Amino acid sequence: MVSQNVLHRPLRTFITVLAVAVEVTLVIIVVGLTSGLMFESAKRTEGVGADIMVQPPSASIYMQFSGAPMPIAIAEKLRHLDYVQAVAPVLIQFNSVNGLEIVYGIDPETFRAVSAGFVFHEGHDLQQPNDILVDDVYARSKKVKLGQTLHILEHDFHVAGIVEHGKGARLFVLMPTLQEMSGAHDKASVFYIKNDRSDHTPAVVDEVRELLPRYEVRPLKDFISLMTSSTLPGLNAFINVMIGIAVAIGFLVIFLSMYTTIIERTREIGVLKSLGASKGYIVQIVLSETTLLCLAGVVGGVGLSYLMRVIFIRLFPTLTILITPAWIGRAGVIAVLGGLLGASYPAWLASRKDPVEALSYE
Amino acid sequence: MEPILKTENLWKVYRTGKVDVPALRGVDIEILPGEFVSIMGPSGCGKSTMLHVIGGLAQATRGKVLLDGNDLTTMSDSARTLLRRHKVGFVFQRFNLLPTLDAYHNIVLAQHIRADGFDPHRFEVVANLLGISERLKHKPSEMSGGEQQRVAIARAIVAEPKIVLADEPTGNLDTKSSEAVLNLLSSLNKDLGQTIVMITHNPEAAAYGHRILHMRDGLVVDGSTVH
Repeated sequence: MVSQNVLHRPLRTFITVLAVAVEVTLVIIVVGLTSGLMFESAKRTEGVGADIMVQPPSASIYMQFSGAPMPIAIAEKLRHLDYVQAVAPVLIQFNSVNGLEIVYGIDPETFRAVSAGFVFHEGHDLQQPNDILVDDVYARSKKVKLGQTLHILEHDFHVAGIVEHGKGARLFVLMPTLQEMSGAHDKASVFYIKNDRSDHTPAVVDEVRELLPRYEVRPLKDFISLMTSSTLPGLNAFINVMIGIAVAIGFLVIFLSMYTTIIERTREIGVLKSLGASKGYIVQIVLSETTLLCLAGVVGGVGLSYLMRVIFIRLFPTLTILITPAWIGRAGVIAVLGGLLGASYPAWLASRKDPVEALSYE
Repeated sequence: MEPILKTENLWKVYRTGKVDVPALRGVDIEILPGEFVSIMGPSGCGKSTMLHVIGGLAQATRGKVLLDGNDLTTMSDSARTLLRRHKVGFVFQRFNLLPTLDAYHNIVLAQHIRADGFDPHRFEVVANLLGISERLKHKPSEMSGGEQQRVAIARAIVAEPKIVLADEPTGNLDTKSSEAVLNLLSSLNKDLGQTIVMITHNPEAAAYGHRILHMRDGLVVDGSTVH
């Protein structure tokens, strides 16, 4: 009876399922976008190839949000520590023109020593003050060609090379140029340290902590695992608000759908009661229909999420949307529970209908 | 023989605004097991109200309703629901089949609600008796009024109720279909010993019963035996 009822009004069923699918998609995509951005950022940071990262005191793990308050002279002190093979100071600037990207200001020689150098698709390394390197993903998404002028940070750069992605940022300029542009003379945002052997990392971390007691010293081995929504203030709240909005959509649509269903089926409810159906039986029918609609919506929502990911990534190739089984499951549970909550009042209303009045309903 | 249904000084009063409107004013009737009783009377005389009260769909205001020894007037709503499920079968003027289900599932629904499992033998007996075996896969919208009413009767009796309460079962049917439905009710009564109480406006339909109770102004004013 439940499936027959659901199929009886195909348009209403379609709209309800679509609303639940949108709810599920919203949850999966919002979480996928935020965790994708974090994962991708962490992966690129790991991709630098360093063993340790040194940041100023109380600096965020998200380097986009860090300033440049560290004297670059610290690099020299770090180089003299035991087991340290190379140190690369990097100045980071946040570019919000034509997309959101971070720009690394690097010293090509030290950065190469830590990261084993760029893999060039085209062009050559940074040589002139206005040279810029872009990674292949950025070049593809922004249709950037070798030799063209790229206007970022209120400055015209000359695209000197296109490199393989995965070395911290997507855009690289010479450090002195970026220092000049941002007024951060002789400053760096982060120091990447390469050890002579990776098993010396704990010893080097201890040395750096002794040298720079209040600074943030992070081994990069488990960096990805540190990049969770809980490490960025406000992100969890944002995700929760978005989930709340999604649940509200599902709740209201299911409420309205089941409420109109109950009104429309008043006489049928009277018939069921005349046959001896209990209040619990009627509640069960309404909630079973809701569960069926929600499950269809969850399946549709998962499909829609993958479709949205394909579309988003085609439109914005630098985006990473991480769709995980855990969040598919959570989105499904959220949708079903939200739907059941939305249907609970109509179900209660149906169960309490007077059978005589219900049977005479026109 | 103990009556299957007995009412004593049965009152049902509806409140309309600040005015009390009595629909039943002290009805006393007795229905014996295996009887086929017709109830006649003009519109508004309380026939349908009485059917609802003796079937446990509505609560009486005063008096007693004893159905198979159970006093409905002292029962809670859920207890009356349970009693209805196991002891009463309803047949309505407008058939009241669920439009989303085919005939088969409309009938099985009664057994499903009763939750004592599907009895294929009983189903087959009922379907054959009512001549609907060929129409089981059809939805109500694909059946004639007579066929729909036969399915509704099958639904009413498939769970083997103690009593069938029929509210104008031929009210929406043409003469031929009415006769067929009345013959079926009569057969059910004769062949299966099914107790039936039927409300009707039609004297010819009422004549199918063993007894005819006449109602007026919320009271049974006459009870005659049909020969």
